[in-house]
Amino acid sequence: MDTKDVIVIGAGLAGLTCSVKLAEYGNHVKLFSPSPSERSQSVMAMGGINAALDNKGQEDSPSQHYTDTINGGQNINNHSAVEKLTQDAPTIIEWLSNIGTSFTRDENNNIDQRYFGGQKKKRTVYAGARTGKQVVTAINAMARKYEEEHLIERYIGWRFLSVLLNEDDKCNGVILINELTDEIKAFTSDCVVIATGGTNRIFGKISGSQQNDAGTTARLLRQEIKLANLEMIQYHPTTIKTPVKNMLITEAARGEGGRLYTMRDDKKWYFMEEWYPELGALMPRDVVSCSIYKVCNQHNLGIDAEDYVYLDVSFLPEETVKVKLDEVYEVCTKYLNLDPTKQPIPVYPGIHYFMGGILTDDEHKTSIKNLYAIGECSVQYHGANRLGGNSLLGAIHGGFIAAEEINNQPEPNKNTNQLVNALLEDELLEYDHWKKSQSSDYISSYKIEQELSDIMNKAMGIYRDETTLKEALNQLEKLEEKEIYSHESYYEYILIKSLIQLAKAFIISALERKESRGAHQRIEYPEMDERYQKTTVIQLINNEYRISFNDTDEKMGW
Amino acid sequence: METLKVIIKTFEDDKDVVREFEYTGELNIPVTALLDEINYRYDTKIHYSSSCLQGLCGSCAMLINGWPKLACKTFLNELVMTKHFHRITIEPLTKFPVIKDLIIDRSILYENMKKAHQWLDDDAKINPDNIQFEYEVSQCLMCGCCLESCPNYNVEEDFMGVILPVSSSKITAQETNEDMLKKHKQIYKKHFYNNCVKSLVCEDVCPMNIPTQRAISKMNKKSIWYIYHLFKQDK
Repeated sequence: MDTKDVIVIGAGLAGLTCSVKLAEYGNHVKLFSPSPSERSQSVMAMGGINAALDNKGQEDSPSQHYTDTINGGQNINNHSAVEKLTQDAPTIIEWLSNIGTSFTRDENNNIDQRYFGGQKKKRTVYAGARTGKQVVTAINAMARKYEEEHLIERYIGWRFLSVLLNEDDKCNGVILINELTDEIKAFTSDCVVIATGGTNRIFGKISGSQQNDAGTTARLLRQEIKLANLEMIQYHPTTIKTPVKNMLITEAARGEGGRLYTMRDDKKWYFMEEWYPELGALMPRDVVSCSIYKVCNQHNLGIDAEDYVYLDVSFLPEETVKVKLDEVYEVCTKYLNLDPTKQPIPVYPGIHYFMGGILTDDEHKTSIKNLYAIGECSVQYHGANRLGGNSLLGAIHGGFIAAEEINNQPEPNKNTNQLVNALLEDELLEYDHWKKSQSSDYISSYKIEQELSDIMNKAMGIYRDETTLKEALNQLEKLEEKEIYSHESYYEYILIKSLIQLAKAFIISALERKESRGAHQRIEYPEMDERYQKTTVIQLINNEYRISFNDTDEKMGW
Repeated sequence: METLKVIIKTFEDDKDVVREFEYTGELNIPVTALLDEINYRYDTKIHYSSSCLQGLCGSCAMLINGWPKLACKTFLNELVMTKHFHRITIEPLTKFPVIKDLIIDRSILYENMKKAHQWLDDDAKINPDNIQFEYEVSQCLMCGCCLESCPNYNVEEDFMGVILPVSSSKITAQETNEDMLKKHKQIYKKHFYNNCVKSLVCEDVCPMNIPTQRAISKMNKKSIWYIYHLFKQDK
C-alpha cells in the first residue's frame, strides 16, 4: 500500500502518539504545534492511566473497565469506541513500557496499580506523581527517531486558521498562521488529524494549559464541522485557588486514602463517606463536585462560611505525600504556603476537562471527510463525565486508532492547487482587512476575554438554569458586536472573535439538553431523561446554530 | 501593597530595548502573574511563553534579576533584590536567539538531541532498582536554565551541555542493542565529557532538581571508565 502524507495539528500526547504510529507504518507526517511537546498540557497529567492489567489479584477485566467507563459517562459515551478503548488499554501500557516509560512498580516488580474514582478495582497505572510527563518523555524520544529519519517533520509556532477542502468536500490540507510573524501559509496533505486539546480559553485561566486556546475547535465550527456534547464540562472536585489560577489536586490524593470533610457542630463531617458509603470520596468526579457544591451552597457548611471544604491527606504516611503525591506537596507548599503533611487542603470544584468538542465516531472520523480528531478536542470516550485515568488513555488510544485508520484508507485523492490558492487568498484578504482597520481606540482584547470568561463561568457552573443561560446568550451576542483591539496580534484578534461564536454553541447546547446527567445539571430538570440518552450535536450553518440529538454510536459515513 | 520598578530588557532589530513599568500590588505572586498584570494595566503586550503556569512545562524560563528561573514559580517576595530594592529585572535567556520579547528559540536543543541519537533502538530493559533515577531524569523540561548558567555552553562547539547526560543516562540504562550502546558512549564523550569543566552549576539551577551530577557520573562510569567497569562487574 502507498504511504500517505499526513498533517497532524497538536504535539501533545494524542498528536505525538498518532505521528509516531503513522511514521511506524512508513507514512510522512508534518507535525504542527505552537510549541514543543514538553509544553503540552499532557505533561500536567498527574494521576495515571487506566488499564485492566489485573496485577493486583482482584480479578479485574477490560469488560469491567468498560462498564465503569460507561456508568461514569452516564451512558452517552460512544459504546463501541469505549469497547475498543478498554480492550486495547493493556496493550497500550505494554507499548509505553517497551518504549521506556518508567512506571512505578510494586514489591514484585510488576507495574503498580491504584484506586481511582468511579472504579472498584485497582486499575490505574502510574509513573510517580507525574505520569503524563513520563509518558511524553518516552514517546518524544520515539518521535525523535522518526524525525531523524525524516518521516516526521516538526513545525513549531503555528496556529490553525482553516482546513482546505477540495471539490468533493474532502479535507486535503490546512491553512496555518505563525503566531509571532503573521506568516499565513497553506500546507497540503492526504488527510489531517486535529489534536488540539480542550477548549480551555473560553473559561479564562482554568487548571489546564494556556496553550489550549480552543482556537482550532472554534475555527472549525465556522467551517460547519459538527461539534458535540459541549455542555459536558468536567469540574474537578478538588482544585485550589492560587494567585496564578485554579490548580489541581490530583485524584490520586483520594486514591491514596485522602478524605474530604467540612466542619459541622464543631466536628469533622466526612460527608462523602456518609452519603456514599461504598466509594466515599472516590465516587466519579461529577458526583463529588456536586456534593461539595451542596455542602457549601445548600447546607451552608463551607469552611468559614466560604466556598470550600477540606481535603485531608495529613494522616497518611509522610512518605506517601512526599513521594507518591509529590506534586500535591509541591503545589501546596509553593502556591498556598501550606504543608499538606500537617494541614488539610482547602478545595473546591474547578473546570478541568471538556468531554465535549469535535464530534467523532469510533474511528475518530469527523463530519468532514479525511479529517480526524483525537485527544481532548474530540468526543467519543467519556460521555457525560470522564473517569480519572481515562484521559491519557483516550489520548494515546485516539492516536493509535487514527493512525491505523489513515494507514488503511485507500489511495486518497490528489490536491487541486487552484482551489488551495483561492482559499489561501481569502485568508490573506481577511488579514489585510484587519491590518488596515485595527485601532487602539477599540476595546482591549484583554477586557473582551475577561468578559467572555466571566459570562461563561457564571452560566456554565456545576448547576445551570435557563434564565442565566439565556442571559449569557444575550451578553455574548452583544460582545460579538464590539470592535476589538488585539495589541497588533492578528491571531489574537481572530481567536477572540471565534471564541465568542464557540461560546454561544456551548450555551445553546446547555439550554437544549433539558435534563440532568453527569456534568450537566439543570435546576429546572433535575432528573435524567431517557430521551436524552444521545449525543448533543451542534453545527453552525449560515450563522444559524443547528442542534440535534443523535445516536451515541453514529458513524460518520465515509 | 508595595510598589516595584519593573525593568524589562528585550532585543529588537539588533538593539537592546529597555522598558520600565511601575507595579503596585501584592508581592506574593509569581513573575508570570506580574507580566500579565503589566500587560493588562498598561494595555500593552510583552510577549512571553507560558503553558502550565505551575512549573511543569519549562516554557517561561527567563532571566530574573540575572538568574535563569521559571517565571511561573518564582515569586516576587522571594527574590532578595526585588524584596529589598523594590525593583526587578526581567530578560530573555541570553544563550538562545530571541524570537520576540521574552520568547526564545530553543530549536538547537532539539536538533542536538536528534544528532545525539537520543532514543531507544530496541525495547526498553526494565531496571527495577533504577526506576527512581530514570523517573527523575525524565523530568527534564528542555527549558535551558542549565545551559544558560553553564560556563562552557556556546563556548565549545561540540558541547551539548548537561541535557545530554541527563537523557543518555536513562537511554543507556534501558537500551539493549550493544552497537547502539557503544555509539551512545562515543557521543557522550565527544559532545559532553571532553568539554565539561565541572562547575556543577547545572544542578543548582535546574528547576526540576534533576540530579545532574549523578547522571554525569553514571555516564562517566559507562563511557570513560568502562575498562574499570568490566573488571568491577558493576550493574
